[in-house]
Order: sequence, then structure tokens, then C-alpha cells
Amino acid sequence: MVTARITNDADRPLFFVTVLLALIGIAFVYSATAMAKDSAEHGLYLRQLIWLAIALGGSAVMAAVPYRIYVGKSAWLLYGLGIFLLVLTLFIGHVGLGAQRWLGWGSVKFQPSELAKIGTVILLANLLSERKLDLTQLRSLVGPMLVAGVPLLLVLRQPDLGTSLTFLMIFFSMLYWAGLPLLYLFLLLTPMINVATSFYLPAWIVFAAVLAVVLYRSRLRLVPILVVVTINLVVGIATPQVWNHLEPYQRQRISTFLDPAADPYGAGYQIIQSKIAIGSGQIAGKGFLNGTQKGLAFLPEQHTDFIFSVVGEETGFLGAGVVTVLYLVLILRGLKIAHRARNRFGGLLAIGLTSVFLYHVLVNVCMTVGLAPVTGLPLPLLSYGGTSLLTSFLQVGLIQNVAMRWREY
Amino acid sequence: MRIDSEMLAGGMRYRERNVTIVVVVIFGLVLLRLFTMQVIEGGRYRELSEENRIRVEILAAPRGEVRDRNGFLMADNIPSFTVTLDPLDKVYVEDPKRMEATIGRLATILETDSTALAERVKKERKQSFLPIRLKRNTELRAVAFVAEHAAELPGVDVESEPLRRYPLGETGSHLLGYVAEISDKELENPQRAGYIRGDLIGKMGIERQYESRLRGESGKRFVEVNALGRKAELLGDKRPILPKRGTDLTLTIDVNLQRAAEDAFQPGARGAVVALDPRNGEVLALASKPNYDPNEFSTGISQASWARLSEGGNYPLFNRAIQAVYPPGSTLKPLVALGGLDLGAIEPGTTFRETCDGAFQFGTRSFRCWNPEGHGTLALRDAVARSCDVYFYQLGLRIGLDRLAAFMKKIGASDKSGIDLPQERKNLFPDAAWYDRRYGAGRWSRGLVLNLAIGQGEVSISPVKLAQLTAFLANGGTIVRPHVVRGMDGAGRPASVASLRADSLRQPVAIGARAMASARSAMEAVVNDAGGTGGSAKVEGVRVAGKTGTAQNPHGEDHALFVCYAPAEDPRIVVAVLVENAGHGSTAAAPIAQKVLQAFFHPEAAESLRVVAVR
Repeated sequence: MVTARITNDADRPLFFVTVLLALIGIAFVYSATAMAKDSAEHGLYLRQLIWLAIALGGSAVMAAVPYRIYVGKSAWLLYGLGIFLLVLTLFIGHVGLGAQRWLGWGSVKFQPSELAKIGTVILLANLLSERKLDLTQLRSLVGPMLVAGVPLLLVLRQPDLGTSLTFLMIFFSMLYWAGLPLLYLFLLLTPMINVATSFYLPAWIVFAAVLAVVLYRSRLRLVPILVVVTINLVVGIATPQVWNHLEPYQRQRISTFLDPAADPYGAGYQIIQSKIAIGSGQIAGKGFLNGTQKGLAFLPEQHTDFIFSVVGEETGFLGAGVVTVLYLVLILRGLKIAHRARNRFGGLLAIGLTSVFLYHVLVNVCMTVGLAPVTGLPLPLLSYGGTSLLTSFLQVGLIQNVAMRWREY
Repeated sequence: MRIDSEMLAGGMRYRERNVTIVVVVIFGLVLLRLFTMQVIEGGRYRELSEENRIRVEILAAPRGEVRDRNGFLMADNIPSFTVTLDPLDKVYVEDPKRMEATIGRLATILETDSTALAERVKKERKQSFLPIRLKRNTELRAVAFVAEHAAELPGVDVESEPLRRYPLGETGSHLLGYVAEISDKELENPQRAGYIRGDLIGKMGIERQYESRLRGESGKRFVEVNALGRKAELLGDKRPILPKRGTDLTLTIDVNLQRAAEDAFQPGARGAVVALDPRNGEVLALASKPNYDPNEFSTGISQASWARLSEGGNYPLFNRAIQAVYPPGSTLKPLVALGGLDLGAIEPGTTFRETCDGAFQFGTRSFRCWNPEGHGTLALRDAVARSCDVYFYQLGLRIGLDRLAAFMKKIGASDKSGIDLPQERKNLFPDAAWYDRRYGAGRWSRGLVLNLAIGQGEVSISPVKLAQLTAFLANGGTIVRPHVVRGMDGAGRPASVASLRADSLRQPVAIGARAMASARSAMEAVVNDAGGTGGSAKVEGVRVAGKTGTAQNPHGEDHALFVCYAPAEDPRIVVAVLVENAGHGSTAAAPIAQKVLQAFFHPEAAESLRVVAVR
């Protein structure tokens, strides 16, 4: 039951920041769609308000039910459901932006990857909080790797690179939090660094040298060293081979994936318009509703993926800075809650969910200021989208749940 | 490197601090970026957002040039002007109604339909941020008008774009193919992911087959257009991506031969010619009549021209050399003879019991010879030379359907030739299994093999396949894959062709040397013996070997066919000719082959003849 003592421990800054960001979001959804020719878009902010009410309710429920119910079988159930829906999406999903990402009932569409993210965090928190777990044994990482890897690959198959990398973010931040030594973290990352550098020999040589030094000084036993070296050799040799055997159009798809600006017809124009919008906001902005760039290029995404550009244009550095700081506060509160929780499962839960926020905020904001490729990830809490808002609030509710019960072991 | 739980707990404290530092630093960098963009560079961005327009310009890559084996230009590019409209111009964003006015004016200037233009703008603006290409190859007058009235036509621009040109006009049209705007259906193909509506794409022939190489890569640049319509590179941002021109192709084709083949047809005739080098499969000429002018497509073909090309029963767009199959008629006889010899069913001197009196009785049916007066009793050489059907009826019966079909399978008669051109039609030499499927097991007559033995009935072969089979005879038993591209980027080395495809270009088939020699000498007799049917293919100074054919056609007049190779001792060229509904191969097809051979062996004479003819 939710006792007074427990509710008193709810994190107030987190609550206010969340609601404030959602309200700011609704205001700018209104601004972004106010001048749309298509009058159906004018009412979007109202829909978003209704969704906010639903989300607040959902958030309260998530906070109230003690998080211990996610320990054990229910975690597998939730995770299994997420995976099932992801598989379903591959077969019957709606195609949008060139990928199958959505499942829908009528006008309500929903990305199963949202559920899969929460399910993965909960299940990983379960696995990583087991007492017998010894993270210095590489074989104890196999389970968590599979748990994060399956949804990652399924989302990659859609194909949605941006979202699939969320699972990597979750995996590494939770492992680190669970006590994985930095050395192991580095070794786990090596295959990925390997793939990234294998296209440019000097970079690859530097990487190989660093790896060799680290392994030499690590005082690891021979078998793990051999495993790491073998995996890296296989990956290093296989990557260019696989690349060379791809059809030209498949290669093009991958390079567009990684760098959409390289695509002559693609998103480079969007980024430039977004930068002009944000930059032209200068210090104080052009004033609410007075943005001029928003109608220009982002259709139909100015109220979803590029909402931060509208904020930057109309409220300038002051407004964009405040929003950025609000997100920073949200992340830091999440960290604090994770740190304070006495229960290892609770702490891992909070850190996993916080890392999801961190990843989405960074990827989206960096995209609008031209530091990251266009990935199609919305800005949590701010972007238009009912189910996106709801899942964000559910996540915050779960974090609050941990905050409220920090005393429990 | 064991870590006990105490260290872990101690580490935990550091972890929180470490993560906090990392997060704060990252957010600090984001804020720094915002500060730089909004406060330091803000004035510049404000200017861009208020006064100027940003436009993406596609820098179209010129398609690769196509040349014949002697360096003769067959396809290149010329500069042309394309009128474009940027629907994201501020004027239209602020006042969408102005679009209608602009489109209305443009329709008048460009002499096109304004509803079609509006439809095009509506469709394309959903797909990309690029200015929409409204009219290619715009006349200078219209270009000048647009330039003069730039102020009244916001977002309208004239861009330079290479235009595909085929200097030879209709010559080699089917071989080269043409380029045109990509269709909605092609856009759905995942292999065409790099295309947007309005892009040009190869539609037929070499243009389609080698599209990915010929196309090159278009570049782009961002330009800033100020209120006066002046353009400047958008400084400090993306550098322009320069276009990469397409790969040039060197063909195996000889333009003179190609011309000779096409000119040899009577005006209005329909048919095809394929000339190969039997030693390596290089296609020397590949013609299909009637032709069309591929230049018409480059600029967007008019309704009237399209109607003329796609209707009227002549189907000029249809490449009869590879897309059509015909019964080969008597041109199949040398191969049937070769089969009989190789299988040991006959010897060169074998004669059959039934003498040819103009017909052959099989069961209750009478099978006629083409010559109602009859040929008498003949051995192989004369039977081929005079094309005696009665001889081949009996040969077919002796070999039997199963063995004949197995032999035809061995030499690949049903396979595609494998030529590097799109839309090649499948060939067919039926076997018992095929008839079982078609008519039901056992529900067909054994007499079918009689027709197959003279190249009639269900057997159907395309002209290019016929040329390939003749090359097989000419080179003494090797199946060569016909190909039209010799090299890329100016390199004429045949070796680079092998790298285009992994499969082999040459495939030897085990055939007895004596059998091959007899079949070949019979083909020499066709052209050179007094009673031979192919006398009109004779060329001065060169010994030609060949075979005539007349294919019965249930829908009309017989198709005339002729296959040949020369010089007979050491063949360097194979020619297969088909003329639709033209009657006898000896009179309608062999003279065409003769003209091709003439142009091949005596190019000077052919040239001077043409000059005389023109005068």
C-alpha cells in the first residue's frame, strides 16, 4: 500500500521536471502545427493534452505498485511479450519512414520497441541483481548479452538503427552499474570498435595496438585473452568480406543509415534547416509562435522529431538552454535515485530507465544541432506522440517507485 | 584481478560520481554547441532565415559514353537546360496559393498542361526536399523567358543537366535501349533505393543492363539564393558533393556491320539479325527491325510518339533478336544431322529406305517435303544442301524423340544464350516430359518427332540463340556466351568482360570430330553446291557455309531464316537472319546475310556502294 511515508520520499524535482517538460512539449506542438495548412494538425496539441492526463494516471499506477512484483517470473513475462510484439511487427507492422516499426489498433499506433526497452531493463535488473552473479567471470555475461541482443537484432531488422542502439546503451550502463570492471567494459566494446575502424586501416592499427597493450597489462588469464583476440580477429577479417559481398544497394542503404547526409536526396537538407532554425533564434528567440523556419522543411516531422528546433528558434539560447538543463536535471535525479536505493534490483532498474532517457535526449538534440545523423528518434516528453509520452511517464513512474522505496533492502 | 564485494561497494560510490561527471560534461558540450550556434553565429543564421533561401541543387552525373569496337561514338551526353521549381521556397510556405499562379505561368511558357504540372509538384514534394524537375531539354527561348522574369517566378530556376544523345539515331536502337524517367513501379523496387521520382533510368538494352555502371553518382550542393536571385555557395556548411560520371563502355559491336544489317532490310520489313564472332562470342551486330529513335525518350516522349511506337501491330520497341522466339525451320537441320552422326544413328553416306517423292507417309498421315517434285534418294550432304524434309523425317524417326531431345539438351538448345542484355526470352526444344505436361502422359503422337526434326512444331528459338548454335557449329563444338560489352572505361580488353560475370564465357561440348566435319561440310554445300538453297549468300573471295530455313507460321506468311558462318575453313563471323512473314529463307533472308558478310569482308566496297547510292 502507498503509505504517507513512502509518498513523502517521492522525488519532487523529478516529478516537476517531467510535467514541466511535457507541458512545454504541448505548447510547442501547438506552435509547430498552428500554421499548418492541413487543419487536421491544428488539434494535435489537444490530443497530446488528453494523452498527458492518461500518462499521469499511468505513471501514478507504475509508482504505486511496489517494484518487487517485477522480480522473477513476471520479468520474463513482460520481456517475452515485448519480444513477441517485436516479431509480430516484422510481419504485420505498419511501414513508416522506410521501416516497420509500428503496431496499431485503428488510429492508435504503438512501437513495440518501447515495451521491449522497459522489459529488457527489468529482466537485466533481475539477472544482474542475483547474489551468485560474479561479473569477473566472462561467462556470466552470456545471459545478459542474449537478453539485450535479441531485441537489438529484432529492431535492427525493421530496420531502425537508432532505436536498436538503445539496447546497447541499456546493456552497458547497467553492467557498469552492476559492478563490471572498466577493463571488461572495454573488452566487450572491442568488437564494435573493431567493425567501426575496419574500414580505415590506420584507425584499425591504433585500435589493435591499444587492445594489445591493454591485454598485455590486464593480467587476465590466457583463455579469456585468447577469446577476445579470436573474436576480434574474426570480426576484423569478416567485416570487409561481408561488406564486399553486399549488393550495391544494400551498401548504399547502410551508408545512408550511418550518414544520411551522404545520401544526395536525403536528410542533409533537414539538418541544415534545423540548424538555421535553432541558430536564428539567437539569445532570446523570435518569440512563441513567431518561428519562420518550422513550416519549411520538416513536414511532417516538425512537431515530432524536430520539436527542439522549434523551441530553439522561438525561445533562443535561453529557452533551449533551459530545456537542456531540465533534461540534465531529470537524468541526474535518476542517477541519484539509483545510487540511494538500497535494493540492488531497484538501483539497477532506475539506472537502466535513466539510461534510456539519456540516450534518446542526446541522440535527438544532437541531431537537431547537426552533431548526429537523422535517426527518427523522438525527444522524450517533448515530441508529439501519445504512446511515446505515455511510455516516458511510465518509465518516470517506475523510477519514482524506486525513489519511494529506497529504504527497502 | 578479483574484485571482492567490499571493493565493489566502494566502487559503487565512485561509479555514481563518475557517471555524473560524464553526463554533466556531455550536457555541457551540448550547451556549448547551442551557445556557438545561437549566440556567436546566431546573426548569420538569422540572416539566412530571414532574407535568403537555401536550395539544394543536384549536380547530375553524365552517363557513361558508349562506343563501338572501333571507338565510334554510339551514345554520349550534351548539355541541356531543365526548368525546376522549389516548392519549399519561402513564398509558397507563407502563401501556398501563389503556387497555382506560378504553375499557371510556367505552363504557358513551357507549353505544357498546368494540371499535369500541378500533379507532378504535389506528388514529388512528398518525397524529397529537392526542387522538382518540371521540364527537361527546355528550349532557349523559354530559358531566357524564365531568366528574365525570375522575380515574378519565385523558386523557379534553370539548372543544367546532361541530356542523353544517340548520334546514330535509329541505328542500334534495340541494342542500346533508351533512358527515360523512372516509373512508379520501378521506384518500389528496393534495388532502386537510390532513385527519386523524376530521375532518369535505362529502360531497355545496354542502358538498362549496365544501368548501375553507366549512371554514375550524382552530387549535390547547398546554395543560398538572395532576394535578387543571385546564388552563392552556402559557406561554412557542407562542401558540395561532386558528381561522379558514369563508366564508359566499349562494345563488341561494329557500327558498320550494324548499319549494313539494318539497311539490308526492305523498308517496312520486320525481323532481326545477329552477327557473332564464333571464337569468343563477341556480338558484332544485333539488329531488330523496325527501329525507333531512342533520342525521343531522353527528353520525355510525346503522347503521339508513344502511341506510334506502342500501337499499330509493328511493335518497334520489341527487340526481335532476343525477345522473340520462332520455329527455326530448316536452319535446325545441321544440328539434327550432327546429332544423328554423333549418336551413331547414321553415317555420312547413309540413305533411307523411303525415297523423296515430295511426301513421306507415316501411319495414316502424309508429311510433305517443301519441294513437291521430290529430291529422290539422298545422302546427308545433299539432304542438307537441298534441305530435303523426307530425309530428315526419317532421320528424326531413327534417332527418336528421347535421344534427339537429349542431344539438344546437351548443346543447350533450350537454354537462354546468356547475352548481357535484359529481357531475353527462353528457348524451347521439347522432350517427352514436356509433351506429357502439355498434353497429358501418352496423349501425344510419336509423329511429333518428324516435325521437330525439320525445326517445326513446338521448337522455338530466338535469333540470338540461333546465332549461338551456329557459332557452336562454326567453332567446332564450343558454346560461347554472346556478349555486347568488351570493356569499361576505355579499356577494350576482353578480359575485363570475364570479370563482369563469374560464369564462364566458353563451354566446350564433347562431339565426335568426324560428325562435326560432316555437318560443316554439308553447310558449305548449301551455299556452294549447284543444287544448294543458299547460293544467294555467296561472297567474293570467301567460302561461306550456311543453312536456309522457312518456318511455317499459323498466323500468316512463313518466316524466312538464314544462318551462316565464314570463312568456312576458319570462321570469324556467324550471322543469323530472321525476316517475319517474308516467305523463303533462300530469297528473303540469305541476301540480308550476304550484305552483312560483304560489309565484314569487304568494308571498302560496301562503303563506296553506299556513297554511290546516296548520290
